[in-house]
Amino acid sequence: MSLPFLRTHCGTVGARMWRDLGLAVLVLLSAAVESNSTSPPGKPVLLSCRSPEKETFTCWWEPGSDGGLPTTYRLYYERERLEGVHECPDYWSAGSNSCFFNKTHTLIWVDYYLTVVASNALGNATSDIFKMDVMEIMKPNVPENVTLLVVETEDSPYLHIRWEHPRNTDTESGWVTIKYELRIKQEKNNKWKEYMSGTQSHFSLYSIAPGGVYTVQVRCKLDHGSWSEWTNSTNVKVPNYVQNERSFWILVATLSAIPFMAAMCILIVKRENVKQCVLPPVPGPKIRGVDFHLLMSGQSEDSTNALIINQNFPLIVGWKDQMEEYLIVTENDIGPPSDASHCQKRKKSLIIPAGFCSDWEIQCKSTHIQNDCAGGTKNETGNFPKNNKSLSGESLSYMEPSKLQKQQCLGQNFVNTEATDPSPLNYDNAVKPFTNSGYVDIRKHVENTQEVNVKQVDYSRVEDVNGDNVFILNNKNLAFNSSGYMDFQRQEEKLSEDYSRVKEVGSNNVVVLQIQDMSADTKNPHATGAHKMGVCTELINSEYIDTIPAPPLM
Amino acid sequence: MAHRETNGSKLFITVLCMVAACSAVPINDLLDRASQRSDMLHSLSTTLTKDLSNHVPPVGWTMMPRPPLCHTSSLQTPNDKEQALQLSESDLMSLARSLLQAWQDPLVDLSNSANSLLHPSQSSISNKIRELQEHSKSLGDGLDILSGKMGPAAQAISSLPYRGSNDIGEDNISKLTNFHFLLSCFRRDSHKIDSFLKVLRCRAAKVQPEMC
Repeated sequence: MSLPFLRTHCGTVGARMWRDLGLAVLVLLSAAVESNSTSPPGKPVLLSCRSPEKETFTCWWEPGSDGGLPTTYRLYYERERLEGVHECPDYWSAGSNSCFFNKTHTLIWVDYYLTVVASNALGNATSDIFKMDVMEIMKPNVPENVTLLVVETEDSPYLHIRWEHPRNTDTESGWVTIKYELRIKQEKNNKWKEYMSGTQSHFSLYSIAPGGVYTVQVRCKLDHGSWSEWTNSTNVKVPNYVQNERSFWILVATLSAIPFMAAMCILIVKRENVKQCVLPPVPGPKIRGVDFHLLMSGQSEDSTNALIINQNFPLIVGWKDQMEEYLIVTENDIGPPSDASHCQKRKKSLIIPAGFCSDWEIQCKSTHIQNDCAGGTKNETGNFPKNNKSLSGESLSYMEPSKLQKQQCLGQNFVNTEATDPSPLNYDNAVKPFTNSGYVDIRKHVENTQEVNVKQVDYSRVEDVNGDNVFILNNKNLAFNSSGYMDFQRQEEKLSEDYSRVKEVGSNNVVVLQIQDMSADTKNPHATGAHKMGVCTELINSEYIDTIPAPPLM
Repeated sequence: MAHRETNGSKLFITVLCMVAACSAVPINDLLDRASQRSDMLHSLSTTLTKDLSNHVPPVGWTMMPRPPLCHTSSLQTPNDKEQALQLSESDLMSLARSLLQAWQDPLVDLSNSANSLLHPSQSSISNKIRELQEHSKSLGDGLDILSGKMGPAAQAISSLPYRGSNDIGEDNISKLTNFHFLLSCFRRDSHKIDSFLKVLRCRAAKVQPEMC
């Protein structure tokens, strides 16, 4: 009887269990659904702050996730020299997620510490601290009203660019210093060219291409802060008119080039004439009465005559005390045919007193007065009395021994261009017509200066003088050996042999001296001829400058 | 007799003053030169701090503990435009000179520590600091001359003692940090000097708006 009762009781309990279970599942599900959509906000990030004019500034942040719930963002700041934490004074003027600090809230040269807090129903999140100073965040607005103008001048047009300072910046008190920069691009080119403009709000670009299109952009910065953005591009087209002028000038240039070319051609063809005209030959040095070329070729006596006569050389006084005058004694050689030619070549020249000679001139006896070599002697009595005087009595015309080799030089042609007799004639052998000078020179063949110290006294005693100026040397009375030649060899040996013996007297006023010592002279007397190279070199430094180079030693 | 003498001496002094005034460089020109020099100084210090912060790890400053103050912070300077424009010329000049004077010794310290700084661009930093010293010195000389022309008020200098870097640590990081801190203080002060001088220049050159 109790069994069916149990059965109904159990059924009721199962149903209740199933109902509770269902309810629980439902509650759990709904709870689960709700917890997926909301959370505390994510961490916001402070991006940057900016002050456009050094008087206010704005900061921006980026929000994190909002957690599905309405989230509010608050900016708090602390500041140097300010107690406490403060909130942003203006969240709206600068747009969303920004904070604007106006003039009253902005101080420069102090540090701000900013944080942004995001909060919703479930919680809040704080950003990192952002430290800034207004000085560091200066970035101005873009400059305004960029205008371009093509200015047309006579020479060439140029581009004039003007702009204005950015809005809100104070340019009158000096609180900010604005510097500008611009960049210009030609339409064809894709490259920008940048120019600094300093604090000026205008700029001129020269040398622009006519017909080109130019694009200009400008930007600026405050003090030493960041550059602003570039302005929008402004374009201008340069008119084309200039080219017409240019073509005109090209035509003119071409037309004028033709006669110019013609002139050049003519000049080139006739260049010799032009050269004559423009660069006339420079005349060479001229001496009055002397033909330079003749002088060079060594031919004319007249040139040397002219040379000598034209020069007014004073007599050398210095040697006067050393020698009064000197006799020219010429010696006739046996007969080298060259004598005559040599005689022909005789030149007139001044007798150089002791101390003056030139090397090769030793070879050529000279006389003071012009003497015509070929034509024999002229009679001249001018100096004769002088000579006479000196010869009178005991006075021998002598040369001092020490000067003797200089005497070799005596009677040299100081200018004797023609006397460059290449052949080493034995000077002694040269027949020298006795000139009408009063000088008698005893030629010595002193080969080198070794004999300088040798006291050599060379005397020629003149015995007689006839009216024709012929001297006869009397050798008999000579104490010395009458060898008239001072041969180099002989000098060392015999002091006595320094006289020239007169061999004969010619009719042409020639006194022929005899070579005394033939033994020592077995060798070619000519050999002693050309040796005077070095003898008189020391004497060259006189007023009479020997301009003729010495002949080569043979 | 005495009357004539005083007249004569007055005339003489007047002539002397005129001559001196004519031959002297006008104040506008001097101010212009000074502000150009201070501009250069500030520009150098700015690039220097940028060079340095390229390699210095950014130090997270917090308000607690209190961050250190620059040694010149005790000087009362204007902190915005209105305050600055209210100052007289003499005050502006005096402030500029005091600030400049306060940095003479610290710049020497900076120069010395720059030689032993461990930084990739150490040599260029060292050179720039030397340049800073030179510009600072010549600016100081110029301001001395200028202030002489402006009167005694302009010549007053507030003393801002520098006690040396107290926090120089031994390790490189703290050395660099301290170096960076000093430089940023100098950058701020050079900006102050530059701004004051430019306000002065603009005021002195009223007929030349392009000066401002």
